[in-house]
Amino acid sequence: MTRTAIYKMSLAAIFGLVSGIAGYQFYEHRHYQAPIIAGPGVTRVVKLHEYCPSLKGTPADTDVFFLEGAGDGGTVLLVANTHSNEPAARLTAEIFLENCTIQKGRLIVIPQFNNSGSRNTKPGDGYPLYFEIPTAWGKKKFRMGNRNASPLDSWPDPDVYIHYPDRSLLSYLDVRNTNRTWPGRPDGPLMERVCFAAMELIRNEQVDVAIDIHGAETMFPVTNCIVAPEKSSRIATMVQLMTQAMEGFTVNVYPSPQNFRGLSHREIGDYSNAMPFLLEAPIPFLDQPTGPKTEELLLTGRDPLLLSLARQGKLFVPYDEYGWPMKNRVGQHCSVILEIMNQLSQASPERAVVAENVPRYKDVLEHDVGYYYHNPATADPARVYPN
Amino acid sequence: MYLHIGVILLVMAAAYTAANRLKLSVELRMLSATLAGGITGAFFHTPPLMQLGRHMIEGSFTYLDVMLVFVTATIFIEIMATSGSVNFVVRGIVTTFFRVRMLALFLLMFVILIPGALTGAGSVSVLTVGAPCALALGYLGVSRGRSAAILFIIAGLSAAAPPVNIWAMIVSAGTAIPYVGFELPLGIPVLLLGTFTMLTLGWRQEQRLSLEQVLAEMPPVPEGMAWWRVALPFGVFFGLVVIGRVLPFTIPIMGLPLQFVLSAAVALAVSPGPINILTLSRDTVKKLTPLLATMAVVGAMQQVMTVTGVKGLISFAVISVPLIMLYALLVFIIPASEGVLTYGGAAIIGIPLVWFLDSRGLHATVVIAGLSLLWPLGDGLPPTALIGRLTMMVTEYRESYISFLKKTWIPWLAITLVGILMVIFSAKLAFLVEWSM
Ligand SMILES: [Zn+2]
Repeated sequence: MTRTAIYKMSLAAIFGLVSGIAGYQFYEHRHYQAPIIAGPGVTRVVKLHEYCPSLKGTPADTDVFFLEGAGDGGTVLLVANTHSNEPAARLTAEIFLENCTIQKGRLIVIPQFNNSGSRNTKPGDGYPLYFEIPTAWGKKKFRMGNRNASPLDSWPDPDVYIHYPDRSLLSYLDVRNTNRTWPGRPDGPLMERVCFAAMELIRNEQVDVAIDIHGAETMFPVTNCIVAPEKSSRIATMVQLMTQAMEGFTVNVYPSPQNFRGLSHREIGDYSNAMPFLLEAPIPFLDQPTGPKTEELLLTGRDPLLLSLARQGKLFVPYDEYGWPMKNRVGQHCSVILEIMNQLSQASPERAVVAENVPRYKDVLEHDVGYYYHNPATADPARVYPN
Repeated sequence: MYLHIGVILLVMAAAYTAANRLKLSVELRMLSATLAGGITGAFFHTPPLMQLGRHMIEGSFTYLDVMLVFVTATIFIEIMATSGSVNFVVRGIVTTFFRVRMLALFLLMFVILIPGALTGAGSVSVLTVGAPCALALGYLGVSRGRSAAILFIIAGLSAAAPPVNIWAMIVSAGTAIPYVGFELPLGIPVLLLGTFTMLTLGWRQEQRLSLEQVLAEMPPVPEGMAWWRVALPFGVFFGLVVIGRVLPFTIPIMGLPLQFVLSAAVALAVSPGPINILTLSRDTVKKLTPLLATMAVVGAMQQVMTVTGVKGLISFAVISVPLIMLYALLVFIIPASEGVLTYGGAAIIGIPLVWFLDSRGLHATVVIAGLSLLWPLGDGLPPTALIGRLTMMVTEYRESYISFLKKTWIPWLAITLVGILMVIFSAKLAFLVEWSM
């Protein structure tokens, strides 16, 4: 054998080894299950394909949890992990699922809305594959997902994504983005089917309020806010005033743009009777000018580069050495959701939804997020849902 | 504050320089820098050592879709060139319009623009239509040096031209800004600047080759070649794109790679002579391998620089510079980043830059369009000077590289000016984006 041949073969062997290990890590990530425990309030769990049969058997199918109260009332839908790289959403939804009981009305929770995206990674952006939340019984490990569904599940992409039914032109990537494919259609691309199923759920279950939980960069103007169309704006403003006065944190209210199509806060309102709200909490991890993309940055939101930019007045949220820990983001989401329910109940008492045993902002700050998660090893196996 | 990130950046620069000394190609230089940066980062647990391989592999997939478009589009263009279409068109232009010289120059500009516009790579323009166009320019009285300059500048503009602009695709993907509405913000400046280049560099008739002399030097056109054989494959491609836009909810999603493959099949079917598609594909991929490797390495480098914090530090530096100074610096930074990192400049500097300018109220789409006029200029700058060197080779211009580069200064200046002004006045030009959609 010549020297070149030996050289080439050893390079190929090294490459094979490295990609073999990486491939195994990706496979593990795609198939890892973070269990959700159905708490005392959960009355039944169905699959999203019940509302759009063509989802059945696809990697986009996902669990829908119903929490039904004894008293008559309205219905609130909570959608989390529309973007699985904004994980405060799923953490918030799990606090509701594992602890909440409903007195009046119904709460429906989809904790992993873009299931395919949560099993995908974002090439180029260097995310950790997982993050861990400390609890009383050990650490609970979650997948860090991607903004878009996996091309393994939805492919090929079009040259441009043409929004249905409005025909707005969007980026080709947005065909895999479940915050651009609303209201969807039953036989469209996979993510349009996911959104269509949710629209059917909203219409068939007579949902009054639909809340879509997100996170946004601190250097992005639309962050730390509630995005609401006209029909939801009164409640959104009340929520802003109440949380500011009673709980000491400030979220802004942004109107939902009329002609930016495909987003939940636009299409849910236009294609159903529900009032949509989209919640954004800051997620410094996603900002461009940060240090290394570590799990610690994801959980603490603390970064010296961002701090320096904050002092130059270049961020859109208050920011100091404290950072933006996960508990602040999750705590804000909990309080905002509870306050939306409260405002709904006051505005139309016959459509009231009354939830109990959900921590508010100051509780989450005091105990931290993991305090509200239960041990899947000691839970009733029938109540544990791999997710 | 984050002193160690600076150390990682220095190690990467040192590895790049060392690889340069060893005369390694640009993609291997970038790979060396990436590896060195990743290993240094692992000392600080960013990334953890066992994740380094995963980050490299994951990163190399960042631009997989762009690479697919690139390969399929180039195979399509290569079939067109091999079938004799290009020679047929260039001969047609020269023999029909030799009395109306400016019109002939204008049409030749389109011939150079099309392959790069469809593939996103100026090198495809140079390789497929460069030689016959240079001959035709010579016939029209343009000196060899100026022909080379024209070919380089127009090929650069062709890479920026819609529908496929790889710099814009990279920046759009990294900033979550739709790769949509670029047709007019890119198309209009490309046509204006292209015409300007043809006028300034092609105006003077410095020599005179006879028609017979030129036609004799051009490869013969195969028997049976006809206009419809040239037009049909392009018609199929644009037809597929248009029908996808007109009937988006009934036509299944094909994607650009399949659309190019179908057009390539048609081109193959209507070629007057037989073409061995296997040999042609193999040769094309061989030719493209350095560029494909570059795209893969750029993605890996982007990911390693992000996970180590180096990209964050660079973004921080970009964002901290006062806006006026930033505009002035772009004139140099943008082409230089391309000269050093090829498409890496768009990923490492372009993404944070556009993010920042967007948050300052500039119109991101127009900003990206403006910047992507500047990036192709960098393809003429060392250390890579990829397209510049290709151009000299194809046009058989034998003077020094510097003397070639000097001949491009007028259009270079014009392109820089237009690009920077588009960035600064992007908000006022937003109507171009709306009209495109
Ligand atoms: Zn989001």
